[in-house]
Amino acid sequence: MTSPITEAQSGGLLGQVPAQGGPGSKRRSPEEAGDGAGGRVLNVFSHGFLAIWAIMIVVPLLWIILGAFKNNAEIGSSAWSWPSHWSFGAFSRAWDKGIGDFFLNTVIVMVFSVPLTMLFGSMVAYVLARYEFPGNRFIYYLFVGGAMFPYFLALVPLFFMVKNLGMLNTYQGLILVYVAYSLPFTTFFMHSFFKTLPTAIHEAAVLDGASHTRTFFQVMMPMAKPGLLSVGIFNVLGQWNQYILPVTLMQQQSSTDKDHSMLAQGLVNLALSQGYSGDYPALFAGMVIAMLPVLVVYLSFQRQVQAGLTAGTLK
Amino acid sequence: MGSEMNRRDLVKRSAALGLVAIPSAGLLSACASSGGDDSSSDKPTKSASAASKDNPFGVNDSAPLDIMVFDGGYGHDYATALGKLYETKHSGSKASVAWTQDITGKLQPRFNGGTPPDVIDDSGAQQIKLDVLQKSDQLSDLTALLDAPYIDDPTKKIRDVLQPGTIEVGNIGGKFVTLQYIYTVWGLWYSGKLFKEHGWTEPKTWKDFISLSGEIKKAGIAPFAHQGKYPYYINVAIMDLIAKNGGLDLAKRIDTFDPTAWDDPAVKNGIEAIYEIVDKGYLLPGTNGLTHIESQTKWNQYKAAFIPCGSWLENEQMKATPADFDMKFMPMPSLDGDKLPFDAIRAGAGEPFIVPKKAKNPAGGMEFLRMMLTKEASGKFASAANSLTVLKDGVGSDVQLRPGTASTVTALSAAGSNTFNYNYPNTNSEFDVALQNLSAELMAKRLTPAQWITKAKALAVKAKKA
Amino acid sequence: MQHRKYPFIVGFLIVPLVLYITFVIWPYLQTFGYSLTNWTGESQNFKFIGLDNYTALFHDSVFRTALWHNILLLIFLPVITILLALFFAFMVNVGGRSTAGGVQGVRGAGIYKVVYFFPQVLSVAILIVLFGAVYRSDSAGLLNGILVKLHLEDANNPIEWLNDPNLVLWCLLAIQVWAGVGFYLVLFSAAMQSIPKDIYEAALLDGAGRGQTFFKVTLPLLWDSVQTSWVYISIFAMDFFALVSGLTPGTGYGGGPDHHSEVMATYLMRNFLSFGKSGYACAQGVIIMLVTLIVSAVTLRVSRRDRIEF
Repeated sequence: MTSPITEAQSGGLLGQVPAQGGPGSKRRSPEEAGDGAGGRVLNVFSHGFLAIWAIMIVVPLLWIILGAFKNNAEIGSSAWSWPSHWSFGAFSRAWDKGIGDFFLNTVIVMVFSVPLTMLFGSMVAYVLARYEFPGNRFIYYLFVGGAMFPYFLALVPLFFMVKNLGMLNTYQGLILVYVAYSLPFTTFFMHSFFKTLPTAIHEAAVLDGASHTRTFFQVMMPMAKPGLLSVGIFNVLGQWNQYILPVTLMQQQSSTDKDHSMLAQGLVNLALSQGYSGDYPALFAGMVIAMLPVLVVYLSFQRQVQAGLTAGTLK
Repeated sequence: MGSEMNRRDLVKRSAALGLVAIPSAGLLSACASSGGDDSSSDKPTKSASAASKDNPFGVNDSAPLDIMVFDGGYGHDYATALGKLYETKHSGSKASVAWTQDITGKLQPRFNGGTPPDVIDDSGAQQIKLDVLQKSDQLSDLTALLDAPYIDDPTKKIRDVLQPGTIEVGNIGGKFVTLQYIYTVWGLWYSGKLFKEHGWTEPKTWKDFISLSGEIKKAGIAPFAHQGKYPYYINVAIMDLIAKNGGLDLAKRIDTFDPTAWDDPAVKNGIEAIYEIVDKGYLLPGTNGLTHIESQTKWNQYKAAFIPCGSWLENEQMKATPADFDMKFMPMPSLDGDKLPFDAIRAGAGEPFIVPKKAKNPAGGMEFLRMMLTKEASGKFASAANSLTVLKDGVGSDVQLRPGTASTVTALSAAGSNTFNYNYPNTNSEFDVALQNLSAELMAKRLTPAQWITKAKALAVKAKKA
Repeated sequence: MQHRKYPFIVGFLIVPLVLYITFVIWPYLQTFGYSLTNWTGESQNFKFIGLDNYTALFHDSVFRTALWHNILLLIFLPVITILLALFFAFMVNVGGRSTAGGVQGVRGAGIYKVVYFFPQVLSVAILIVLFGAVYRSDSAGLLNGILVKLHLEDANNPIEWLNDPNLVLWCLLAIQVWAGVGFYLVLFSAAMQSIPKDIYEAALLDGAGRGQTFFKVTLPLLWDSVQTSWVYISIFAMDFFALVSGLTPGTGYGGGPDHHSEVMATYLMRNFLSFGKSGYACAQGVIIMLVTLIVSAVTLRVSRRDRIEF
């Protein structure tokens, strides 16, 4: 582990610039010269590129936030106009459009749909991965096939189906549909996970007289935790941003029906309505309001998100 | 290693498929679809009450009324107020008014499901196309409405108090199925204040328009803006020049997709006139890519002198318009050899109200429409939504109008019977959209007038076949 | 192990499978059925017209244009996203200064990963509003504003990004790259970190530069993740509905100027909802399914080869 990679060896190939030091060190003391020249160049180089891309991500977002404080004339005149006075008026106008409700609706649905997705997906994956039975491959490919197509191809008949079940514009209807459409991916992901878990522990549990069901819940599920975490992240992201399904299924069925719009759906409606009344600051403010909680949640869980992705892709 | 390989393979596949779970899919501007079975059990609850002079459609007082309006430039307050009035008149009924910007998204599922509202204002960017609804047999025949007594003067029938053209426009597939409630005029708009300041006057001919444009440009203002992201608007201006130059006959031939209509010299005159604006650099920079709100707002900020639009403009731009802007409407300027006079304008009933065939309370729906056609309702609508309705002389002198709307009233009376309108957008939306695309290409200088004509003609040939 | 195995299997499969067939499989099958009819989408009155929709589709030049655009996206979206993500992942993980302990990531690697990943969690609705403002066709747009400020363009002659037939598709592609790179950066970083350090060190000892290390060591070992991502991004490239319909000019789901940003999904929806040709739209849907299936099959087949084990 401590093999002495000398800076000269790694750096000499890349350039002659003397000096070595961290990004923070401005010093170029002579004793450091000739030591890790390439490392330094590469370091500046990588920081440069990385910083440019970071700016490209941050600037548009900050610019939109700034836009929420401008007025219509300022937004329309120059990209570089500065808000003439700072007020949160646009934010309250946007909030009045019901963004809070959209959030709540989305959270209510996902509190049920994500865990159910994970449970059902794991159950299917486990059975398919660990048990031989006729039709195993068929069911497996049924899931492969269904997952490959864009959602919108199935929308019309799907609408009928949900309507006939009397579940249009209901949380439970959307939850079931979310679960169904997230199953394929979850199943694959977990299928691969269960395949790799050592068989010995499983066998030991069975030998101890545990039932199949108990083995699954008490032995296998805990072992699959890293996989569950990654697939959970995928599902949360996917369902959070889902747009086409709620637009189809969560329309008020009569004028007295409650508005159960999901977040993305509500935001688009907001975009449309701001388009009509020409209130661009409120539109931008609405986007900022929608962005902030996601940002907060993401920042708090970014370690887990990255760890989850790692767990999912590595052995 | 075997299982390892397998697993990676699976991860790969699952990742591949999983993307479906993180879709960026979304129907933005519109919405989804849906279906519904139609063998439906919900039959309209036919009203029990007998028809009478006072209640020509035999409205059942206890039946609820379900109203859905497009919440766009005209808002929805007028519908709420009218709903209240309906409840008073038919005591015991409950009139619920809902509104949306996304008519297709909200209503297509309900049409397919056989549970549409009783009356709908089917408008906006996400309207459900009327020709499609008609072909699907979803619209009630509203002829009974035309023959019903006019509430303000029961000796007259509704059909006698409507603006000319209303019945024709409402006619789709040989039946009167939609009441286009708002009487819209189309033309050019400018700021009276800006023109006064610079001493400019309204150009009556295209020559004057072009030379004035030169002056405007010298003054540091862009002569012309249009709502480039939605080529609908500029296409209206083009087709109006063509109609005024070629006369009503030509407009009719275009409506019937007669391909030879596009060989008429008027077509060439009209499209070349518009192209002059592009060629001389009179367009507002960037206007070809701006949305309607973006470009209209820049026009409100005196960055451009003229903009083509319909008479909803004033209401739509209410917040963005400076108090002393003095919005003014004018007809499209005359080309040499115009068959129609300068005062001739495109005018027509717009904003389609419909009563679905599968509505639960169609009688109530029709009654609601009849109640919209009174002087009081029409006057209220005009002052609240800054737009005229199809009720003849529907705006009393007591009604206070804003400058833009007032100038459309003046223009309309100057035009007299010299109004025209095209019907092809209602009968063939595919042709309409394709023609708009051509006009957008022309404005971006990617098509010459001659190419525009050739391609438009090809579209007509295709539409004729369909 | 055999005892009570089947009741258990059935018990575990029954609920998810019923759910899945009801809401996913069956609707897809029905779409195929509709494609053989002249359905208008607004009522259930339609008749069977055989393969007419498919014949018409064959002669439809707009559909071919849309298909071509999807193919372009299918090629360029994965290539650009993956190259950028690999580049950044390499910078973040190996681009830092070397120490006696071996190669290191740059300082602040964690922050970069967080910032880069963030667009991934933004709703597509936000992306549309954001990039509508960025690509705005006059100097009030962010991009044009920057170019004007730098005196690279004349304010009176701004670039109409989304109204330029040569730019529009690439502008949309850029949005997807912008939003997606961070995700793959994190994915590749994870894979890079799993490569045993001694492999690097051995390579460096052999006198390989970092560039060489990247191509000779890192990339081959990442090949698996790269292929995964490829398939993953491909499915995005088949869609693009939201961005096209929200941002590009044209009446009814954008796709302009003059179909230069048309993709299959927008054309399908316009036929479905605006033109009342829903049966025709379903036929397009079936074709899209076939294309997707072929693409997936090819990619999966290709990705099965050349496995590198370590």
